[in-house]
Amino acid sequence: MIGNDESSEMQQRRAVLKRVAWMLGGAISAPAALAILQGCSAREPVPGEAAAAAKFFKGKQADIVTAIADVLIPKTDTSGALDAGVPAFIDSIMADVYPKDAQDRFSAGIDEFESGAGAGGKAFLDQDVTQRAATVQKAIDAALAGEHKDKPFILVARELTLLGFFTSRVGITENMEYVAVPTAYHGCVPLSQMKKHVYWE
Amino acid sequence: MFLCASALGSAYIMLNSTSSRFPNGFGNDSGELGHNIMDHNKPGNSNANVEGHLDVAYTGRRPNGFYIPRYRNVGKDKRDYLRGFGYQGRAARSNYSRFNDTPLMGAELKKAALEPGPWTIGMTAFGEILPYHENHAKLDRSNKDKHGLPLLVVDAVVRENEIKMQEDMRNDAAEMLEASGYKNVTVRSDSYNVGNSIHEMGTARMGADPKKSVLNKFNQVHACKNVFVTDGSFMPSSGCQNPSLTYMAFTARAADHAVSELKKGNL
Repeated sequence: MIGNDESSEMQQRRAVLKRVAWMLGGAISAPAALAILQGCSAREPVPGEAAAAAKFFKGKQADIVTAIADVLIPKTDTSGALDAGVPAFIDSIMADVYPKDAQDRFSAGIDEFESGAGAGGKAFLDQDVTQRAATVQKAIDAALAGEHKDKPFILVARELTLLGFFTSRVGITENMEYVAVPTAYHGCVPLSQMKKHVYWE
Repeated sequence: MFLCASALGSAYIMLNSTSSRFPNGFGNDSGELGHNIMDHNKPGNSNANVEGHLDVAYTGRRPNGFYIPRYRNVGKDKRDYLRGFGYQGRAARSNYSRFNDTPLMGAELKKAALEPGPWTIGMTAFGEILPYHENHAKLDRSNKDKHGLPLLVVDAVVRENEIKMQEDMRNDAAEMLEASGYKNVTVRSDSYNVGNSIHEMGTARMGADPKKSVLNKFNQVHACKNVFVTDGSFMPSSGCQNPSLTYMAFTARAADHAVSELKKGNL
């Protein structure tokens, strides 16, 4: 009864969330904060559940974003972005939460990234992991060096990879001290007494 | 009967319930139903970096950080606006998002994220918004939603008193953070309008005079004592505190009154 246009309601909520985003502990963009408040989180991939289920990515886009997330947070002795299901998280957050203009920029950004990465050499998806890491690093460095009206694609992809990973089950339990609610609050604990130095809030 | 559909929801249901007795909405003899919409004045937050204390962090969870109660227009303090505001804030070590716009990646990024970042402190002012008759919601019967019901049109803005208060809210926060010795104090100046704090209230205010209010002191509709309205709509002023506990306390009080009146056969 306050209006049946869901997208305009979402836009209003987003405007509100711009103001609360900082409460989540840092520099998180409003749509990303909205997604977390809506319970959107990465979950471990189910075998066989592949790019066919993509809601946002088209064609090779899923593979490209998967490759970027993999070199940003690779599997080492602990889980990486792909173990946490980050590509599906980015697909879903883009489809369900980001406004149309940001979706269009992200989609165009993937394609531009791919053509830029492949210019004069191997296509991005044909590169090995070391080459891909160098390509992504170069794109990040270039984006950080420039002035932009809108956040460049590679930095949006980076923010969402970090957000997806560090709010996922494996990202939290392997990197932070995780204790389920309810629990006591201790406001001044020496790091030397903490099993892990970052506490999941 | 207890109506508890949120401030705008309850006002909507009452405005949309008309009869020959209540042609302008149920219980609306005073003409105040849907009027006096309030929220909390919240024009941005202030943040700063805190140096040191890098060998300590925190564990567990709590509902709140720190709270600075209202001090403006209290005692001898007199400002050029009415009422005042409090601050809610917290200190925290910055998390993984501090790496968002950095070049770090791969195994090095994972390693760095195992350590908490520098301490930051942030606080947000919550201020009182005065009840203005002009701030109101009404039914638009010419525009219907998908259920065929009229739309609710909300017309509410902050006025001179709130805008003057915002200046103090920002300046005081910056002054306190500076005086505490914190670094890189930033004061965000967000455009604020009624509704942004999602504490809407006041649309069926309580009062002693049925000519000026919708509900009596027990949340009963003045002209229809077996109807209780127990959400934020009853609030005659907004205070500067988070309102949920007040709503709950008044609801418990109204329910207690209802039981006692029922037992006496008055309802």
